[in-house]
Amino acid sequence: MQNFPLTVKAREDFPLLKRKIHGHPLAYLDNAATTQKPNCVIDALVRFYENHNSNVSRGVYTLAEEATEIYEEGRESVAKFIGANDSGKIIFTRGTTESINLVAAAWAQPKLKTDERILVTEMEHHSNLVPWQMVAQKAGAELVYWPITPETGSSDGGRLDLQKLDELLADSVKRKRSFRLLAVSAVSNVLGTVNPIAEIIELAHARGVPVLVDAAQAVARMPIDVSGWDCDFLAFSGHKIYGPTGIGVLYAKNERLEEMLPFQGGGGMIRQVGRQTSTWADAPQKFEAGTPPVAEVSGLAAAVEYLRNFGMQEIQRHEYELTTHALKRFAEFEDLELYGPPETIERCGVVSFNLRNVHPHDVAQVLDESGIAVRAGHHCTQVLHKRFGIAASVRMSFGLYNEISEIDRLFSALDQAREIFLK
Amino acid sequence: MTTPTIYRDLLLEHARHPKNSGRLESPDLQASAFNPLCGDELELTLSLSAGTIQDCKTQVRGCSICQASASMMSEMILAKTLQDAGEISQIFAESLRKNTDEIPESLDSLRPLIALKTHRSRIKCMKLAWDALEDCARQNET
Repeated sequence: MQNFPLTVKAREDFPLLKRKIHGHPLAYLDNAATTQKPNCVIDALVRFYENHNSNVSRGVYTLAEEATEIYEEGRESVAKFIGANDSGKIIFTRGTTESINLVAAAWAQPKLKTDERILVTEMEHHSNLVPWQMVAQKAGAELVYWPITPETGSSDGGRLDLQKLDELLADSVKRKRSFRLLAVSAVSNVLGTVNPIAEIIELAHARGVPVLVDAAQAVARMPIDVSGWDCDFLAFSGHKIYGPTGIGVLYAKNERLEEMLPFQGGGGMIRQVGRQTSTWADAPQKFEAGTPPVAEVSGLAAAVEYLRNFGMQEIQRHEYELTTHALKRFAEFEDLELYGPPETIERCGVVSFNLRNVHPHDVAQVLDESGIAVRAGHHCTQVLHKRFGIAASVRMSFGLYNEISEIDRLFSALDQAREIFLK
Repeated sequence: MTTPTIYRDLLLEHARHPKNSGRLESPDLQASAFNPLCGDELELTLSLSAGTIQDCKTQVRGCSICQASASMMSEMILAKTLQDAGEISQIFAESLRKNTDEIPESLDSLRPLIALKTHRSRIKCMKLAWDALEDCARQNET
């Protein structure tokens, strides 16, 4: 069994990884869907409820002050983690989906005009697609797709072509139908493609187009630098970076924060409430109506701290090694159809495939019999799957605790699927 | 799969060589069903004579369980009235929901499917064809 130093250190921290499934040790390879939680995150949740539980910003008693401190320190810690220079730019939400819906409802919808357009890519997750369809339809605006490069089996396939982006942007200027926004993921949740976010933002900004980055997959896999990238918005979920469910983050730069209308109305987001009208609190509270997820923020802060101790570059290297190994193994089997770039150049952590003539559901169930957890389905990317002419695929995705041996177990277990369904 | 081998072989036989597969050219009733979780889809076409199912075909793009269920259903409902077929569908749904191992006699031929009900994620796969059938029954009522 081959282990990386990082894995050896990490596995002990995750109690769930000790579970056996159908008598086999669990090989958890569905980290793109959600990650397992280290003891420090679980402890943070318990510690909050056992010692500090109370509502934030509303009480003057000791507990309420502690809870407020935990919540605001969590904001600081997240800001630092993604390279934001001010925690006031960090809005807590329920997850990536809510973060993007917040931008759609509070920023895009009020501004969007009939003759404007929104630019998305073919590889977007439904959470970075459907909200834009909804606002575009409401405004009578157009949703435009930046296509991915054709699957050629070479390393050029399954990527976003910057030349094409430049053409789309130039064309929109020529036709006087400007893009209100470009919404793009930093890492594809199906292809694992790492998109050149800094270059994309530079091109878009050169034409005056703001950019929203869906970092749901990227944030657990590589260093994020919102200031360096100069992105307008960035969204991610806590549960995909070893933190709790029900907590997400929206980063917005100052100019955009100022343009945003409130999202939901309620307690906490107001300055003064009159009988007919109200005035709003400053950002970020303006966008956080109701009692916020304080325990979840304490868990998220613990997860961020945990990742920082390893170093995001170290984690990136680890996932690069795992992905490289998986891609190398694919080359051994001609009945496996791999989607996305076949090399580890600008690709990380996520590998989707099909076993020819066997439905992904059936493959996933056979793998489960061997204790291997993978995802089967369209992974919330029906547009991308249609682009490939398939309904569904099998996806393995790695975390910092995964080992080469787990990937090898998957390839061995595929033989059982062949045996059952193809003999 | 953890189901007994005999069941598994039966299901796989249906999945590999589905009965009444395809599409009727001029059906009296047609319904499609879609599984939003995985993108699987299925089309059921029926021809009726005095309320009795004369012919039926299913066009499936789905997993082995979805395909097997459609095949078994097509064998079961032929020559039955649409109303009776709809009732079988409801009893099937009921026995998938229930926590007991008891299976009504009328569903004996569906045992291999019902044995899989502990895999809750696969119930939608089993139900897809039956959803289309119930859709046809509803269309016929109105």
